[in-house]
Amino acid sequence: MVLNPQNEELRELTVGREREDGSFEAGAAINQTSLWRDAARRFAHNRAALVAMFAFLLMLAYVVIVPFVVPYDPNAVNFDIAYVNPTWTHPFGTDEFGRDLFLRTALGGRISIGIGFAGTVAIMVVGILYGAISGFVGGWLDNAMMRFLDALYGLPYLPFAIITLAIFGTVNFWTMVIALTIASWFTTARVMRGQIITLKENDYVRAARAVGARWHRVLFRHLLPNTLGVVLVFVFLELPGVVLGEAFLSFLGLGINPPQSSWGSLAQDGYTQYLSHPYIIVIPSVAIAWLILSAFFIADGLRDALDPRTESAA
Amino acid sequence: MALLEVDDLRTYFTSRRGDVKAVDGISLAVERGKTLGIVGESGCGKSVTALSIMGLLAPNARVVSGSVRFEGRDLTELSDRELEDIRGRQIAMIFQDPMTSLNPTLTIGLQLTETMRRHLDMSRDEARKRAIELLEEVHIPNARARLDDYPHRYSGGMRQRVMIAMALSCSPKLLIADEPTTALDVTVQAGILDLLEELRDEHEMSMIIITHDMGVVAESADDIAVMYAGQIVEQTNAEELFDHPEHPYTEALLGALPQVEDENVRQGRLTAIPGRPPDLVDLPDACRFAPRCPYASRNDSCTAKMPELRELRPGHLVRTAHPASERQGAPVPAAAP
Repeated sequence: MVLNPQNEELRELTVGREREDGSFEAGAAINQTSLWRDAARRFAHNRAALVAMFAFLLMLAYVVIVPFVVPYDPNAVNFDIAYVNPTWTHPFGTDEFGRDLFLRTALGGRISIGIGFAGTVAIMVVGILYGAISGFVGGWLDNAMMRFLDALYGLPYLPFAIITLAIFGTVNFWTMVIALTIASWFTTARVMRGQIITLKENDYVRAARAVGARWHRVLFRHLLPNTLGVVLVFVFLELPGVVLGEAFLSFLGLGINPPQSSWGSLAQDGYTQYLSHPYIIVIPSVAIAWLILSAFFIADGLRDALDPRTESAA
Repeated sequence: MALLEVDDLRTYFTSRRGDVKAVDGISLAVERGKTLGIVGESGCGKSVTALSIMGLLAPNARVVSGSVRFEGRDLTELSDRELEDIRGRQIAMIFQDPMTSLNPTLTIGLQLTETMRRHLDMSRDEARKRAIELLEEVHIPNARARLDDYPHRYSGGMRQRVMIAMALSCSPKLLIADEPTTALDVTVQAGILDLLEELRDEHEMSMIIITHDMGVVAESADDIAVMYAGQIVEQTNAEELFDHPEHPYTEALLGALPQVEDENVRQGRLTAIPGRPPDLVDLPDACRFAPRCPYASRNDSCTAKMPELRELRPGHLVRTAHPASERQGAPVPAAAP
């Protein structure tokens, strides 16, 4: 309930007292919360999600800051210090060319996470547009668009990305983003379509149409903003998929070209010597797992936080 | 010429079993400045009639025949774009459930000004000023401060007032209220009805009130149409209907009203109408109320042929073979439910 000091009817109902200057002080503090503040409160009470959020930000800080502070050249070859085990001067050790892995893991992370975010954004844009149009227009167009999606669903994920890369002929940051987006926007599109169809049935959509709102008004004012919660969850669900996809392709040697590296190609560098120098493969693998797990836990926490019916966290 | 003239409107829904004849040949007229009440039980086609007038039918429904003339223009023949310009500007509608009729993610002010800026070409500031006036007009206290609140901070009655303010924002000529008080507390209902009447007179609007509650139309309607199974079964002015109901269904509806004043009635149970309304997919050529009618016997003419809507007295239309004024002797008692 809303308590408003100027509201006569409610003033009588509240247990409170008048201040000396005549203004009114309610007896009990009433928290006026919005959906988002509510969600933030629930998220803050979810310990797993909080830890994951911290881990996620820590990883971001690592890949952003470390290349500025570490004094080495990431690509300089120096065989004198090849295969140095982790020490204080080289916290993650060095590889077969004597390059510092603490620095190269951070730089690889920039590429991996960069592709992850760019791919996620692209997936969101494509998926939301496709799903929203399909669900909003409905009828035969919806049917056609969904059957097309069903056909794409049948194609295996990674071969699809590999073929796309082959068609491009070169592998760089942006072709990688495009290939991974093409291979993985389907689920987002489907979920968005479902969301739009559910929201379309809401009374306030009918009410908006009853006062003459045109289609674009209905779609952009009344439908899409209400999907924001789901979109937010999906960002953190899609991100790990893209990161993993990129790592997988790079591990197979189909990814980013040397001397540039991503976590996938770093792991690939290490796997031939996994018995003699296990840290070379373990470190990028842990980085990948770290990012993916923290993103999943954040998505989980967000989903709980944005659904008012879950009371476990509150 | 009346403001709104509905002539032989038929709206059918497509279903797997065949066409559902939700509205099956109704004719109505709403005079300027008057209120028409449409009464009937759930599923009799009241709301579909309103949505047909507004052009807001679901994709699986269609107007099969008939016309809806608003100021002489047939709304069923307008394009979507032309209809959008009429909705909200000339004809506005308020819905049953105020709790879900406002978008929870937008402020009240935004939802109110949206309509005015759309139809009246107002600037943001003008629309805001007008929105405050409107909220005051529908008796929302402290309107200026409440304008930037989200809907969840309004109570049900207040939200319905906001819906009314929104409907009135462009001074429409016709307001359609679909069960405007059904979802509200009894104590709030009377207030909303009074408000609607007050605003109707102030804005010189016509109004259609759709309800299942005879009490609601008794209070606010000039003319009343009683609907049953997609048809109008009785239509006349309010006074005549309550004083001299002719159709057995109208009588039954009035009989089902709780009588608080009468000590004897208060002791007993409320009178219910036995049976259910007919299946709207498979309708026989007979009076649709016959199976539930206490006056219709097996070999009556009305069980073999649909009675016409006839003018029993000037201005009093009724569709039955057994109007009260033509009945002889005591009525056959209704079967116990």
